[in-house]
Amino acid sequence: MAAPAVGGIGIANLPNQRHKIVAKRGAHFTIMVVGESGLGKTTLINTLFSTELSSSKNYSRRHVKQLDKLTEVEIIKAELEEKSFKVKLTVIDTPGFGDYVNNRDSWSPIIDFIDDQHETYMRQEQQPQRGEKTDLRVHACLYFIRATGHTLKPLDIEIMKRLGTRVNLIPVIAKADTLTQGDLANFKQRIRAVIAAQNIRIYQPPIDPEDTQSAEHARLLADAMPFSIIGSTEDVQTADGRTVKGRQYLWGVAEVENENHCDFRKLRSLVIRTHMLDLISTTEESHYENYRQAQMETRKFGEPKVKKLDNPKFKEEEEGLRRRFTEQVKAEEARFRQWEQHLIAERDRLNKDLELAHSAVKQLEAELDNLQVGYGRGSQRR
Amino acid sequence: MATRKKGVKKGVQFTVMVVGASGTGRTTFVNTLCETGVLEHKVNDNPETAHVEEGIRIKPVNIELEEDGVRIALTIVDTPGFGDNIDNEFAFQEILGYLEREYDHVLGEESRIKRNPRFRDNRVHALLYFIPPTGHALREIDIELMRRLSPRVNVIPVIGKADSLTPQELKGFKKRVMEDIEHYDIPVYNFPYDIEEDDEDTIADNSELRALMPFAIVGSEDEIEIDGQLVRARIYPWGVVEVDNPKHSDFSRLRSALLNTHLTELKSLTHDVLYETYRTEKLSRTVHSEQDSSMLPEDLASQGMRLKEEQLRREEEKLREIELKVSREIQEKREALLAKEESLRNLESRLAAQGLNADF
Repeated sequence: MAAPAVGGIGIANLPNQRHKIVAKRGAHFTIMVVGESGLGKTTLINTLFSTELSSSKNYSRRHVKQLDKLTEVEIIKAELEEKSFKVKLTVIDTPGFGDYVNNRDSWSPIIDFIDDQHETYMRQEQQPQRGEKTDLRVHACLYFIRATGHTLKPLDIEIMKRLGTRVNLIPVIAKADTLTQGDLANFKQRIRAVIAAQNIRIYQPPIDPEDTQSAEHARLLADAMPFSIIGSTEDVQTADGRTVKGRQYLWGVAEVENENHCDFRKLRSLVIRTHMLDLISTTEESHYENYRQAQMETRKFGEPKVKKLDNPKFKEEEEGLRRRFTEQVKAEEARFRQWEQHLIAERDRLNKDLELAHSAVKQLEAELDNLQVGYGRGSQRR
Repeated sequence: MATRKKGVKKGVQFTVMVVGASGTGRTTFVNTLCETGVLEHKVNDNPETAHVEEGIRIKPVNIELEEDGVRIALTIVDTPGFGDNIDNEFAFQEILGYLEREYDHVLGEESRIKRNPRFRDNRVHALLYFIPPTGHALREIDIELMRRLSPRVNVIPVIGKADSLTPQELKGFKKRVMEDIEHYDIPVYNFPYDIEEDDEDTIADNSELRALMPFAIVGSEDEIEIDGQLVRARIYPWGVVEVDNPKHSDFSRLRSALLNTHLTELKSLTHDVLYETYRTEKLSRTVHSEQDSSMLPEDLASQGMRLKEEQLRREEEKLREIELKVSREIQEKREALLAKEESLRNLESRLAAQGLNADF
């Protein structure tokens, strides 16, 4: 703490005091990763925070989830510490998104989760006791685009539109080591064109007109979006003997931190080094306020939120139950029909028996008559 | 394996369908296979319409190839638009419909009294399904596609853009894909061989190909010079991937199996097994007209259920009435029988009495 300058009263010391408080309190940061399976979401998170937050996939139980047609929301919490500054990190993963034949409404669990966090925070603020608040509001959302080389898919566009208005959306091109440099440049250009044409809001790092250096940096970051990503937590040897984090192919090593290979460093800078605070504050000041405003215009103070009970998975279960009911009904019908047949068969059989008995009786009667007649004649002859 | 030199002028006819979402390397694969630009790459010019879901389009293209001295009249059926929509159920029906329509054409032609000598057989002999290189396992859409189409066509799974996986990842991925195929009982074409009947070379060949499944494909239409030779390859800042190098990709093995060694077998399996199965199913279906088991929309379904309930109730009542009637009839008949028995017994006793008298 510097002594007040000659002639001043010491208010210039305020930022330093603030710094001390913030440094002691630590921060909390919530980041969400969205994208189809196999795009390297887990690996990127582990690479970004240089620690194995999410363990590698357990394949032995995959058959349980493969066909369940559901997008899940998974929360992973960790505490990072660097130079005695602590950050409570929360990572939200979304397994199952986009992996099914019918992906309609597969974005609902994700969108609802983001809204719910704003909602929860809002409710907590309205409580009489609001000292301890749990805050899972999402500060940054990384959307993973498959490196097809073509353009954004309708599914990408649908969800990005919805994400952009609720959270700081940062699109990334996943597994960018599939694209050659020319293809990558074209791909980025096309994506940017679609984002502009479809009015998708993505996060733009703010450009401070006074600080030219940071403005330059911000412009550099903005121009490189969507960031091309290669993720890896493994150390490999390059051809010229360096040990780097990268992916080792038979034909060479794709390096994570090499600016010529991918935009990982830019992403890390945006999310952690230079703009983490901005991400947090825009979430709190801008997105949360928008949500709050929208909700308060339509709801009374303290009224709970109306929940949609329209879950596509349940609709499927409903259909399944209905089908089973129809089948059971059909089975019962079949049983009744069989029973009917059986009864008819019995009746016919009994009828036949009766017929036989009847004809036997007739025969006997006829014989009897003959005998009687014969006897009658016989007795007459006497 | 020698292929029959059938009609050297026309060449052997062979139809391959390629299915996979955009960006899995389908178009490049076909162009690499035919060594010329057969299919056009997707044009993504209008960003304003990028959100519009286009349906699937099924487009056959004919080209002539020469493979190992044999001329092949190859038909490639491309399916752009598969897997690109939010809801892809319709695309499945389209592909299945196409396959079955071609079978129907042949069925119709066979049944004609006067057959058309110029009839063109467009049945699909092999379907290459491009699995995106996620590195994990099969997704629902992969499982559903292979499962639904294998009864109608030889499905060969391939991994597109396999150069995004390291050798270790590729090995693990291939293993898990084959595990899933076995787990869900999906009858893909797996280069079958008979240990007792086939000769050693065939067995070795086929088991080698089977071990490579699903084939890891890297395609490229660009050539660069390596060691003075022009080689098809993909150029990255960190290295060069050679398409025809068996260590880099399974492309050349797949090509030779498809166009050379297993072409005849794929054709005969299509005709002798898949087509015959379809034929049997179709003909027995027209004999016993099967109930339409399509799903009715919700209202109709609930209405149908109510009607069914009504019907059931009515039938139950009817049955109960019939039951009563039958039991009544049985009662009556029993009584009639008893009565007759009585009269018979009377007659008997009278007879007996008479008989005694007659003796005197």
